[in-house]
Amino acid sequence: MAETAKSARHHVVVGSGVAGFQAAETLRERDPDSRITILTLSRLLFYKRYDLPKVFRGSRDWREFLVHPAEFYRDRRIGMRRASHVANVDSRRKVITLDHKEEIRFDTLLVASGGRAYLPEELAEFRPLMHNFGSYEDAITMAKALPERGHAIMLGGDMIGLDLARTLIDTQHRVTLVAGPHTFWPHEVGESERPALVATLEKMGIEVIEGADTGGIASIEQGARGFSARRVLFKDGTEIAGDVVMPFFGLMPSVEFMLGSGVDIERGLLVSPGLRTTDESIYAAGDVCQIWSDAERRYRFYYGWKNVRAMGDLAARNITGSSDPWVPAQDEKLHISGDGRIQSPFWEYE
Amino acid sequence: MGEIRPPSEAPGAPAAEQREYISDDPRDIGWVKQNVPCQSACPAGTNVPVYIREIIERQYGRSYETNREANVLPGVLGRICSRPCESQCRHGWPGNGEPVAICHLKRVAADLKDAGHRITERLYSPTGKRVAIVGAGPAGVAAAHDLSLLGHDVVILEREELAGGMLRYGIPEFRLPRGTLDVELHNALRLGVQLRTGVEIGTAKGQTPLAALLHDYDAVLLATGCMAASPLPLQGEWEKRDPGKELADVEYGLDFLVQMHRGEKKRVGKRVAVVGAGFTALDCARVAARLGAEEVTIHIRTAEEYIPVTQEEIFEAKREGVRIKGLRTPVGLATDDKGRLTGIEFVQNRLGGWRAGGRRQAIPIEGSEFVEPCDTLIIAIGQQTVNDFLGTKLELDRWGNVRVGENGMTSQAGLFAAGDYVRGASTVVEAVGHGRHTARRIDAWLMHHERRRQVVRIVPVDKPLRERAFDFIPRQHMPTAPLAERMRGVGREVETGMDEQTAFEEAKRCYLCNLRYQIDIDRCIFCRACIEVAPRNCIKLVRGVEIGDDGAYGRLLETKEWNQVGAIWIDNNECIRCGQCYNACPVQCISISRCELTEVEV
Repeated sequence: MAETAKSARHHVVVGSGVAGFQAAETLRERDPDSRITILTLSRLLFYKRYDLPKVFRGSRDWREFLVHPAEFYRDRRIGMRRASHVANVDSRRKVITLDHKEEIRFDTLLVASGGRAYLPEELAEFRPLMHNFGSYEDAITMAKALPERGHAIMLGGDMIGLDLARTLIDTQHRVTLVAGPHTFWPHEVGESERPALVATLEKMGIEVIEGADTGGIASIEQGARGFSARRVLFKDGTEIAGDVVMPFFGLMPSVEFMLGSGVDIERGLLVSPGLRTTDESIYAAGDVCQIWSDAERRYRFYYGWKNVRAMGDLAARNITGSSDPWVPAQDEKLHISGDGRIQSPFWEYE
Repeated sequence: MGEIRPPSEAPGAPAAEQREYISDDPRDIGWVKQNVPCQSACPAGTNVPVYIREIIERQYGRSYETNREANVLPGVLGRICSRPCESQCRHGWPGNGEPVAICHLKRVAADLKDAGHRITERLYSPTGKRVAIVGAGPAGVAAAHDLSLLGHDVVILEREELAGGMLRYGIPEFRLPRGTLDVELHNALRLGVQLRTGVEIGTAKGQTPLAALLHDYDAVLLATGCMAASPLPLQGEWEKRDPGKELADVEYGLDFLVQMHRGEKKRVGKRVAVVGAGFTALDCARVAARLGAEEVTIHIRTAEEYIPVTQEEIFEAKREGVRIKGLRTPVGLATDDKGRLTGIEFVQNRLGGWRAGGRRQAIPIEGSEFVEPCDTLIIAIGQQTVNDFLGTKLELDRWGNVRVGENGMTSQAGLFAAGDYVRGASTVVEAVGHGRHTARRIDAWLMHHERRRQVVRIVPVDKPLRERAFDFIPRQHMPTAPLAERMRGVGREVETGMDEQTAFEEAKRCYLCNLRYQIDIDRCIFCRACIEVAPRNCIKLVRGVEIGDDGAYGRLLETKEWNQVGAIWIDNNECIRCGQCYNACPVQCISISRCELTEVEV
């Protein structure tokens, strides 16, 4: 491993999730004299997004979700710029422009902006009638909208949604899942494995409707006064009513601000096994990047808390002089355990 | 870079002391070309800031006419233009937000003008010259219109039953309603242009030979477009074979659309794969979704970011269920024992450098082949010109397109060519622009001199036409038809048009880049008030300005040393025409003038 670089370089990290936070921590360890700035859209310091289902168990104070207090960042001289919207990145000038036109120069940039909930374009017009669950604010809004023992309709059913569904069932709510190709995302489930997994969901208490059997969703409507708040109408003429409708169709990399920056993008930022983009001063880590896999001969995403954290650490090490390749930190297999429960490495976090 | 002159030699006196005047000073012409990026980017040269300003003034008819001066099909291009202007719009430059919806506003002018709107045309007296145009597509129609205005007798010969070319036969109705197309084609040709449809040019029996046209007319213009689909290069057993001819489940995208628009009933399978990255590929995919395909995918060599279609089109296609899969190149086809298509074999790509023309290279990765199942393949990777109808040998370029000189003429005297037939498959607005350009060249050749020349009309403006608050208006969205309604058939227009209020909000976002702010340094007291209020680094202390070889202004020579300051200079490249400096100036030494490219008689 190369010697840790010592400089007064300005490392900028975009994103304060698992990858961004881990990268900042590693950068500070390995480059003690540098300036480190985290730019994040979030109004909160780094918090445990994976713990958000706890809002249904009574945890609603934002302080309970923080990983570290503000002093942690102050002591480590990590600048945390919250509610900062990056408008674009000029890789040639090494300048980030924020939405309010402020320009921030960087020596190295780590993009760890993660992903936001993907909503299939055919459902985009119904967005105002759905509840997201991607942030603390979303979770609180959703918790307020779902009454005690209320009925949540979950569309898609990725592993983030199914994790929430487990909590909702535990807390005496009713959950209906409209299943489809995104169910169990990011796991790729074969045709032969799927029936057993769906049956397991049903055993957990989740009511499953196969979306394909209904011809797909025709529309989502607001319920009339005195009735359930939402109705999901299917193309075969059937419908279901519930209190909230929640889309869980996986994540879409947040790369908009990188368009025009000069680095390569397909769905995510395309990075080498060392997590470097096509610009030598820009790295990416977490759900935002597609990493070149020599073994599979393609760019691919790696998901899961452990993977994302390892990516943040690796990117920071490579920024500070190492040249290590990416090695996945967790397997990706979804399976049913001996006690009949679904086990996913995606749900394993500290 | 040419000579350096002190900025005191800025052309013209302060606008407040001027009347409207015409300038042929290359610095003024260069100023407009540099500072009005939308107009410079438009192949037809549409005067964008003026027509948007007219929308703000709710003069929709006048706005339509401003459009029509450059492009005879504003209602058509307001729907299907590829929008090269928007990618250059100053409002979309880094830090300025999103570009103005220039194309949607063009449609606004067409949609909201009065029903009894009066078209204005500047007619020349008859010349007695006769011009035949082969092809009634956008290039042919634009050229026919301009040539008829210039007093020539024009005949268009069209192979299909109706005029419009790719507009009618290549673009689905859900993007371009035929009523709009018919009205604008009619208006373009109503000045006496004869349209003869069902006429094929060629040497076979029943066809009209090109030689006969050259004999009967003073000039002939070929504008037959690119109407032959490009074959898909495959490898292995499919190398040098044409799956479009051999397999019933494989079609060429252009043929698919043309046949449908000629009235043939088209069918697709359940899993449709479209290979290609342009508007034709997207149109084929969206048609397939409407014809009942359960899964429609578009397969591209690079990534969504690099394909030459608008983000709105991509979004609408996805909304209709079309999925785009990137970084793959087709290399083979999979079939069952009955010869039915079962899948496409792709090789995984990685991104390479940039190709000439601004497209990304895709580099195949050895050993990464995979098969994507499908039962219908539509190939839409491009189009080519066809020259076998000519019956004569013309010089061609390396792509097989006919070569023309600067005067628009082919290697045969009196035979001109325009549009995609010359430039290869391009966009409708490029075809319109090239049609216009070639019409001017034909006119000059027929009349032995140029009859019009480009100048700049400079009009003093007595106050800023924008407010700073306009800069914070978000881009307004084009309303669209509900998904269920649009998917019932291919005829329901998807984009439904902006209403007056939405259009007004969007029009206000335009910076009106044709406004030139200047400081009269003889009156400036160097108080810096303008610099203090400027929202950007747009007012600069300079010691001089470089003048380019073409006479246009070049780089500003900035200085921070007061003893070197020659002037306080408004950098019109940075200026967003907010008017803050004008309002703050205590001695009114800042003037505003509107600079418009126009033409006058020679």
